[in-house]
Amino acid sequence: SLGERFMFKYAPNKGELASRDVVSRAEWTEILEGRGVDGCVLLDMRHLGREKILERLPQIRELALDATGKDAIDEPIPILPGAHYTMGGIEADLNGATRIPGVYAAGECACISVHGANRLGGNSLLDTIVFGARSAAHAVEYIKTVGEVKPSERTLQHERDRVADLLSRTGGTRAPKIRQKMNETMSANTFIFRNEAQLETAVKDLVAIRNEFDQGVYVMDKSKTFNTDLVSAFETDFLIDVSLALATGALHRKESRGAQARTDFPDRDDENWMVHTLAFRQDGAAPKLDYSRKAKITKWQPEVRSY
Amino acid sequence: MAARGKVVLMAKITLDIFRFDEAVDTVPHRDKVVVDIPETTTVLDALEYAKAEVDGSISFRRSCRSAICGSCSMNVNGVTGLACKTPCNTVMDDTGTVKIDPMPNFQPMKDMVVHMDPFWDKYTRLKPYLQPKDADSSHATERRVSPDDMHKLVAVANCIMCATCYALCPVVSVDPAFAGPAAIAYAYRFIEDVRDGERKERIAQISEDYLWLCAHCYACSYCPKHVDPNDRIIDVKRAAISERVMMNERGPRHALTVVKTIKQTGMLAETELIQGTVGKFNIIGLLKVAPLGLRMASKGKLPPIFMKPIPKVDEVRTIIDSLEVPVA
Repeated sequence: SLGERFMFKYAPNKGELASRDVVSRAEWTEILEGRGVDGCVLLDMRHLGREKILERLPQIRELALDATGKDAIDEPIPILPGAHYTMGGIEADLNGATRIPGVYAAGECACISVHGANRLGGNSLLDTIVFGARSAAHAVEYIKTVGEVKPSERTLQHERDRVADLLSRTGGTRAPKIRQKMNETMSANTFIFRNEAQLETAVKDLVAIRNEFDQGVYVMDKSKTFNTDLVSAFETDFLIDVSLALATGALHRKESRGAQARTDFPDRDDENWMVHTLAFRQDGAAPKLDYSRKAKITKWQPEVRSY
Repeated sequence: MAARGKVVLMAKITLDIFRFDEAVDTVPHRDKVVVDIPETTTVLDALEYAKAEVDGSISFRRSCRSAICGSCSMNVNGVTGLACKTPCNTVMDDTGTVKIDPMPNFQPMKDMVVHMDPFWDKYTRLKPYLQPKDADSSHATERRVSPDDMHKLVAVANCIMCATCYALCPVVSVDPAFAGPAAIAYAYRFIEDVRDGERKERIAQISEDYLWLCAHCYACSYCPKHVDPNDRIIDVKRAAISERVMMNERGPRHALTVVKTIKQTGMLAETELIQGTVGKFNIIGLLKVAPLGLRMASKGKLPPIFMKPIPKVDEVRTIIDSLEVPVA
């Protein structure tokens, strides 16, 4: 609100081009300390001029116009940090193979890991193009070695029964409502700056949400045709698991690293925490965490991050 | 849906929704759902709200909610467009009602979800991937293209395959065999790509998919990503004429005959136009258009069979020559 180009306070060299976690923390700090405008900071592109914006940034200009009614050519755009990418994911090796033979993971859902605790530019491209191709090639070879595999009839029947049971319920809580509760606790407690009390609240809330879903989720659409209510329930189910893994992992990681910024443990602890967190699902409880996989340091040594 | 400290105009909006389940219904019905939301809420968000709070069976495709995935195209108050890009207060009528239907030209499956296969088929037939002139091994590193060469492809490459243009196309609605604006525009994307080696084959393919049925009505200018398929269709037709593809078909003959008669006489000679399009020796074809000719004559719209050139016809010929317009 002071019209200040604040990024240079936080990143004297790189300014707005600093790493995304640095920029997010900077924006949120400015807002928390009262220098925001209507709870946002302002993104100013006017200096680029009409021609350059129309040629290089037409999509962004259109998006801003639709969402805010403001034309980036003439006015600054109000912005906030937003969740853009899920760091971490399904454990996979350089061929995209997971612990389960025949199940592959590549792209944003996977953690091989090449990006660690941060989301830099080009993460997605590397993950999808390189590991998408490698896992496809590896899967083809795998198929040749195993030939035809028939899924177990028992497993299939179990799934059919599970879905039929879900659809037969006549009451309960709709998945969107459960998802809303999950959104609220995640936004309040696992956002940019985290502390022990918040993360404990998040885990407690999510375990309750997990139970509410398992016992009482209600799918209103009973149709067999393009049932988006059912799919939405499945998605909410998985989102709860991912949120639990995230919150539990964050609670136990008593340090700040990359995008995790803990106000109670503000420094990086390379001595104790150069490990990956593996989370294993437990019914009705927070996941079990395993730290047996250490981070592999080869060519580049960990350094102080400064921008 | 809190707005930070700003005054938000709430409104009771009635969503008048098309309901249909192909597995159980023979005819559709409509449901009216009233939602109390800020009036600037998008139609998509209004639908999501109605689905979450009132009726979980309301079905529609959606994903990005930011006009880049192309999933949420539907018919809102008679016009097809992206629901995520349509604020309710720009489309609701005086009673605060927003009519929501699936997009036309597609067979409905479930509420606003339609069978998209014919649209995808038209794409697949294009072979919508680069078929390079030379092998990868001919290049030490990557295959290079200049920004200038790629510049004209940028607008078409923005197509998000939402099918709004296809839904709005009146030619598709009378002839579902027509390739449709999106496919023809995307054919352009490869026809004019300097790296591609199948230019003539691609022009032939799209010509066979009834390229020349396009009536240039500009309905496809409602494209939410400003692809302007109509202008690309004109470009493809020009390419077809310059590469002399299917020159004996009505479409190219018509276009060339228009220019020919204007060049000859300085005016459009309808009689010769009909002959040139149908074919002077195409007796059956000519007989078929005879009723049209008679109707035109009875209204005084049929010019003399042998037209005299206008006094300043030389100036017209100069214009046509300088534009290097191909003539028959």
